[in-house]
Amino acid sequence: MNVALAILWKDLVSEWRSRDRVMAMLVFSILVAVVFYFALPMLRPEELSALAPGLLWTAYLFSALLGLNRSFALELENDALAGLALAPGNRGWIFLGKAAANWVLISIVQILTAGVFALFYGIDLVPALPGLATVVGLGTVGICAAGTLLAPMAVRTGFREVLLPVLLLPALFPILAGAVEGSGAAVAGRPIPFAALQLLLVTDGIYLIVAFLGFDYVLDE
Amino acid sequence: MNSNPEEHGNAQASIPSRLESRASRWRRPMGYLLAALGAAYAWSVMSAPIDSTQGIIQKILYIHPPLAYGAYLGFVITGVAGVLFLARQREDLDRLAVASAEVGVIFCTLMLVTGPIWARGTWGVWWSWDARLTVTLLLWFVYLAYLLLRSFSGSSPRTARFAAIYGVVGLVLIPLNYYVIEIFGSRSMHPENLERGSLGDGMGLPFLLGNLTLALAFFYLLILRWEVEAQRRLDDANAGSGA
Repeated sequence: MNVALAILWKDLVSEWRSRDRVMAMLVFSILVAVVFYFALPMLRPEELSALAPGLLWTAYLFSALLGLNRSFALELENDALAGLALAPGNRGWIFLGKAAANWVLISIVQILTAGVFALFYGIDLVPALPGLATVVGLGTVGICAAGTLLAPMAVRTGFREVLLPVLLLPALFPILAGAVEGSGAAVAGRPIPFAALQLLLVTDGIYLIVAFLGFDYVLDE
Repeated sequence: MNSNPEEHGNAQASIPSRLESRASRWRRPMGYLLAALGAAYAWSVMSAPIDSTQGIIQKILYIHPPLAYGAYLGFVITGVAGVLFLARQREDLDRLAVASAEVGVIFCTLMLVTGPIWARGTWGVWWSWDARLTVTLLLWFVYLAYLLLRSFSGSSPRTARFAAIYGVVGLVLIPLNYYVIEIFGSRSMHPENLERGSLGDGMGLPFLLGNLTLALAFFYLLILRWEVEAQRRLDDANAGSGA
């Protein structure tokens, strides 16, 4: 447990000193929001705001991919990953520390991105906030659990960062289905369907367990 | 739980393993049976009655669902072999996993090809985002990614471990994806089930033969591919020791 907290702290401090990961993800997310505006030029504002939850999650997914890749590309410098692997104790805790750090950083970007989307596409965020925060928080747990398991594999193949989207996106379908459904309800002012929350919780739980147990084999040299 | 490098060395020493040699012994008789069954299958499909509403295109029924069973079987074997490989550190199970993933992808691809042809004839569109279709497409991507992961990380114990982990992710995704359909069930255009009783007169036998033939073809190809993988690793090991 201490290992997890130490790694969480280390990742947050190193990000605080450079702030490059959060900045890169944020700028990328805003660019995605702008790209959507150009990609969907014939839509009226109210049509755009109906599409916004789906568009928001597209931006979230792509920026998370960016951040997850970077989170382990960093560890490859100076063989830091080998150092991590040598740390005593269950490697599941290393996974939890990395995943928690990713969750915090991605969540910061997501909050700011939601603000930008609200501004661009005319969504009233304040009433939707509690519901949206719940859904986004839960969805991001699943993304971080699966992503933190798969990213260290991807960055150590010959294909490097390019492989992560190919590995991760098909695995995130259950998360995406629940998250878009839940976010849509929150933005429209409806109560969040229980089925969506249930799906997110079940998927999060399964991915956390698989990743906690599997991380041991991912770090092995 | 940590993998032990010595065990890798031991497992490599015995290629093909006992399990593999035992499986290989079954392949030749399976081949003869497959040829015989295949002929009976072809004949029964040709002589099956033509559907009164769908016409000749309905005969895709005799190949499309059996391909689906093969695809799912392949993916399940890949996942289970991966778990067993991680638990026991036996390389022959890793070779089984890769063989099964490849054969599964072939079956899945053929299913995704025959599906739209049938759909064009009966639903009127080549593609629909039908729930079952979407999930199967996603699964196809998972196993393509599995094969990509293998091919881009070379052949090493590490590749085998990465692939095994990803195979487990694919395995848990099968029920999860079906759970998504259950919850958000965009209504499926696929029939709920294929009870034998729902088939017309004279359609049961070719359907049964199709299932048997393709199941047998699946296992024949699986064992063949397994042998190829063992031979490939053996060659690699020999090349490595010769250098």
